[in-house]
Amino acid sequence: MEYRDYYQILGVQRAATADEIKTAYRRLARKYHPDVSKEPNAEARFKEMQEAYEVLKDPEKRAAYDQLGSEWKSGQQFRPPPDWGSGFEFDGAPGGARGARHRRASGRARGGSGAAQEEVFEQEGFSDFFSSLFGGGSPFGAAARHGGRDHHARIDLELEQAFRGAASTLELKRPEMKPDGTLEVRTHTVRVTIPPGVTDGQLIRLAGQGEPAAEGGRSGDLYLEAHILPHRLYQLDGRDVTLTLPVAPWEAALGAGVTVPTLGGPVEMQIPAGAQSGQKLRLRGRGLPGQPPGDEYVQLKVVLPPANSAEAKALYAEMRSKLDFNPRADLKG
Amino acid sequence: MAEVTLTHVELIGEREWLAVTETCRLCRIDAGALQELAELGVIAPRGKAPAEWEFPAAGLARLRLAGRLMRDLGVNASGAALAVELLEVQRELERRIHALEHLALEPR
Repeated sequence: MEYRDYYQILGVQRAATADEIKTAYRRLARKYHPDVSKEPNAEARFKEMQEAYEVLKDPEKRAAYDQLGSEWKSGQQFRPPPDWGSGFEFDGAPGGARGARHRRASGRARGGSGAAQEEVFEQEGFSDFFSSLFGGGSPFGAAARHGGRDHHARIDLELEQAFRGAASTLELKRPEMKPDGTLEVRTHTVRVTIPPGVTDGQLIRLAGQGEPAAEGGRSGDLYLEAHILPHRLYQLDGRDVTLTLPVAPWEAALGAGVTVPTLGGPVEMQIPAGAQSGQKLRLRGRGLPGQPPGDEYVQLKVVLPPANSAEAKALYAEMRSKLDFNPRADLKG
Repeated sequence: MAEVTLTHVELIGEREWLAVTETCRLCRIDAGALQELAELGVIAPRGKAPAEWEFPAAGLARLRLAGRLMRDLGVNASGAALAVELLEVQRELERRIHALEHLALEPR
């Protein structure tokens, strides 16, 4: 695994006070928080900062981290020292964390089938470096609890996956104690089937896939918050989708039957005569599935054919001479 | 590598009503913060007294957003409520701009 320089991540000196660390974290968190930031890679940056702050805000963890020495550089190959955590006293029953049965489901998820991408946030997405030194299973990890805590993660879905449902693969990282007493971060793979009709921001519960509990207790649940990615054709609003449909001037003027893409496949739709650019037509029940299902709104966009041939120019000239049409009539004072 | 295939995945339905404890659990906030955020209009509960309140699952996303802002940025409930509203306005405006761009710009 690679060493992480937590002081460098927060942009503070190794001698920084607790207040300076807190101020640096707050300032960076405001800039990179995924809910408010437009910065590229905001989520990954924010995760790094959270991880760094989790260690540096805690005097015990910070002291242990400092004992690794200041010679390490970010990205250097690193293994936890065999006596890691010795010399520290722990609240509660940290020894319990050294039991092989205590496996903390901390995880980073990866894309499953198709283009699904999931990224775990909160402590579940912290690095192997953090998990080995400070995660569950380490001397600094919480002792196994009777009832395991819930874990929360985020799953990004394409709109088509939200419509049809999706099979995804999550990788949950769990530090485990090996027989020789050293820690190893092992990956636990979970395959999930997301049902059709998930909306943006909706929660999906995976019962029992959160933090494992002490023997006899109940494991926590894993909650996935669905985020639906922007789509090339459709705009999503709740369960409704809007599609911009280019139409020819004569289709708008005279009416026409056209084939329209929907999430469930193409359908035939009638454009009424006298339609205008910007007008919206509704295809009931063609949005995301649900009770009731969403609708698809088709917004017409009249596209002019280019006057790039003698024949086309003649047609435009004929319209000019024969149609009594002034598009700027409303501008007259 | 251990592998598990899950068969049971549960959607937290949009039409459900959730008790205080369940809402706090799903949003990772305490009951005091929940009451404060409800009083500020982040989510509209039903029931007379706070102890009897139930919360619409459809409002969980904004409540979770408020909870994240409080936890991660150290803002109080009033600041989180304001930020949630402003972020929603921002997203709605971005959505409209995107729609207008679709309508106004030349086809690809």
